[in-house]
Amino acid sequence: MYNNNKRRFAPRRKFCRFCAEKDTPLNYKRPDILRDFITERGKIIARRITGTCAFHQRALTVEIKRARQLGLMIYTATHSAEVLKKSVL
Amino acid sequence: MRKFETMLLLSPELSGEARESVLTFLAGIIERGGGQLLETDHWGARDLAYPIKKQTRGYYVRLVYLGPPPLVAELERNIRINENIYRFVSVRLEEETAEAPHVQ
Repeated sequence: MYNNNKRRFAPRRKFCRFCAEKDTPLNYKRPDILRDFITERGKIIARRITGTCAFHQRALTVEIKRARQLGLMIYTATHSAEVLKKSVL
Repeated sequence: MRKFETMLLLSPELSGEARESVLTFLAGIIERGGGQLLETDHWGARDLAYPIKKQTRGYYVRLVYLGPPPLVAELERNIRINENIYRFVSVRLEEETAEAPHVQ
């Protein structure tokens, strides 16, 4: 018998931005919206942090990967070859 | 007849009419393949998030067209041949989605 409510912190109610609000366009053509869902290093943020529902998270990852492929979004923060050269010296 | 959209990333060094000739060439393929080019949305030259083929800028064009599914494969085959087209993404669109205008 243990009570875990002491440890359970009360997360503020997170909601799925694509379900709740007006139907914000979720596609690779709008990198400005997708950018809210990646870290500054370019990684896709987990659902449990952004609160997006499973359905939209799956669609989100597909769109982010398409945007990355077209050069609309970064894959990783350190892209340019110059950075690599500098760090090698 | 399905509705498709192909986003093209063209070389920034391409001159205006060279770019036009590429686009009319692709439009021809769509027409010949029994499709119908609905829209040619020029996003224009934009800075890329990372260098592609040593370029930091690229010219984006979005082609929206109707057509039988095999047409997309044919179109992409021709896109791959052309070395001025660096990247492309083809997507099937639901017919009734109101296409939101692109916003930077």
